[in-house]
Amino acid sequence: MKITVNRSAVIDAPIDRVWAVLRDFNSHEQWHPAVDRSEMENDAGGDVVGSVRRFCLAGGSELREQLLSHSDREHTLTYCILDSPLPLLDYVATVRLKPVTDGNRTFWEWRSRFRAPGDRAGELEGLVGRQIYEAGFTGLRTFLADEGALARPEPPGASPPVVETVEGELLPSRAVTVTDHGGPDLLLLSDVTVPAPDPQEVRIRQTAIAVNYLDIGHRRGIVPGLELPGTPGVEGVGEIVDVGAQVNGLFPGDRVAYMARAPGAYAGIRCVDAGACIPLPAGVSDKDASTLLKGVTAALLLGRVFRAAPGETILIQAVAGGLGHLLSQWAKSMDLIVIGTVSSTEKARFSRDHGCDHPIVIEDARPLQADVMRITNGRGVDHWVHSSGARGLDDALACLSRCGHCAVIGGRDGQPISLDVNLLKQRSLTVSAPVCFDYTDDRPYLHRLAHQLFAKIQNRTIIPAIETFPLGKASDAHRKIESRQTTGTVVLIPDK
Amino acid sequence: MVKVYRSTVLDAPADRVWRDLRDFNGLANWHPSIALSRIEKGHPADKVGCVRNLQLKDGARIREQLLSLSDYDFSCMYAILDSPMDMSDYVATLRLLPVTEGNRCFIEWSAEFECRPEQVTELTDTVGEGMFQTGFDALKKRYGQR
Repeated sequence: MKITVNRSAVIDAPIDRVWAVLRDFNSHEQWHPAVDRSEMENDAGGDVVGSVRRFCLAGGSELREQLLSHSDREHTLTYCILDSPLPLLDYVATVRLKPVTDGNRTFWEWRSRFRAPGDRAGELEGLVGRQIYEAGFTGLRTFLADEGALARPEPPGASPPVVETVEGELLPSRAVTVTDHGGPDLLLLSDVTVPAPDPQEVRIRQTAIAVNYLDIGHRRGIVPGLELPGTPGVEGVGEIVDVGAQVNGLFPGDRVAYMARAPGAYAGIRCVDAGACIPLPAGVSDKDASTLLKGVTAALLLGRVFRAAPGETILIQAVAGGLGHLLSQWAKSMDLIVIGTVSSTEKARFSRDHGCDHPIVIEDARPLQADVMRITNGRGVDHWVHSSGARGLDDALACLSRCGHCAVIGGRDGQPISLDVNLLKQRSLTVSAPVCFDYTDDRPYLHRLAHQLFAKIQNRTIIPAIETFPLGKASDAHRKIESRQTTGTVVLIPDK
Repeated sequence: MVKVYRSTVLDAPADRVWRDLRDFNGLANWHPSIALSRIEKGHPADKVGCVRNLQLKDGARIREQLLSLSDYDFSCMYAILDSPMDMSDYVATLRLLPVTEGNRCFIEWSAEFECRPEQVTELTDTVGEGMFQTGFDALKKRYGQR
């Protein structure tokens, strides 16, 4: 059955800027969220007609495509698929740009024709249109914004844009402040004034603020990073109020999510480094976007730390938790076999609905090894996500397969964790201690993972489970997490 | 050969805008510089080859002939037969392309003509700004703009 896919968008950047990126047939890995790696066969240049590029997609599959025509004059290129895991037969696609002289913007049309089996026509049309073309529009916008190339479109001649003029003013807001390290009762909401953003910052009116285990460590004083008096929280979502003088590519009214090493997120309005902000696609709600830090952590664990492959086995501790339930859904979407530990049968049911094939209800004094070996036919698991600190690490190592990998995350109880390397040598085991921010300081990488996350949320591969508390009830939120009574993630909502 | 090109984005679907723009006799309905339009010899306005007789608000008259009209790709071409402007071989193309993101449309209007070298700047401005961009601004008001 013959299928035509046609998608188009307007990019707020001059055509030369957009074409400078798109004319390189080998540039997708820099801006397209679906493409992990791209390389040219025979080291050909990205503008050699007839050359072949090889994509390694985010899901792990590979694709070969050949450049059929290329015109700098017409701002257009045509290519075809040579090899693909999907039945996209005789697939020929054209990318064409046209200048929008009104506002110095760019019209971008991406279209293709191919044949596909009749029963998969709708699915493949949607996949190509949404996950390749529309995701590409969003990805390129992010890439250009990072480079500072996105221009503010000229305001339409007749009506000036209606933007609240608050530039430069102090804005009243409320923030949760900690003056002493200790229990959840020390999280107190108070009135603050938020100054105008510094040159590299944006000021954000926040709508959703995720609570992370790190925040609890900051509050208790067992993890350094929060100076007192200070406001905890390392990520948030909201709408930009105004931007600093040197900020490019972000504008008042933009919806963004951010994550940053420096705390300060438990607030109604705050200033944050513009480089940390990721513009949100239309199909992702503010609440769902507040899973950014956990979702990105899940992505980098699977993709970078474990380099997990379909068919492999992963065990996730606290699989019903904030990170756990996102990680299990992501792993399931990559065709991994997912085992998870939970503290109750209710959470076991929840985790089964969120990608976990084999939830194991932890009972005191019963080692996990028997269950894990039964599920893996005595082989052990390839990957283990360990969040309980020193407790149970021996158990983890005993459950790993040969050459298995245990990533020690969270579990920030401040206790030292000792490890006998000789034990690892017996079966070529790896133990790592990844910290998300050490990976995501590489901003293009962060943006790529964020867009993979947003794409999975949009197509409902990942459905975040979110429990909300008013910002003023941050102490209740912390208390509930610390008593292990939550499932999914916990998000604070500031007053309007 | 002088070339003029202008384009913008309108906040309405391409098929909706095309309903208005395909009418070769409809320019006076939306372009602020045009006072009157009629099709000569009583031909229908979508007959390729028909001639429209335009009277501008400043009193000038222009005769233009429809060279092509395509409902398939939302485009038309026309040539100027007579005008007070000091130019020749004027052929213009008007085309809509859908912007699927946001269900809007991209509109481009271009022209090629010959004229004396010292007239290039003035005529480029007359056509590009006075005719095309002024028309766009009116269309943006008519359909709204994001």
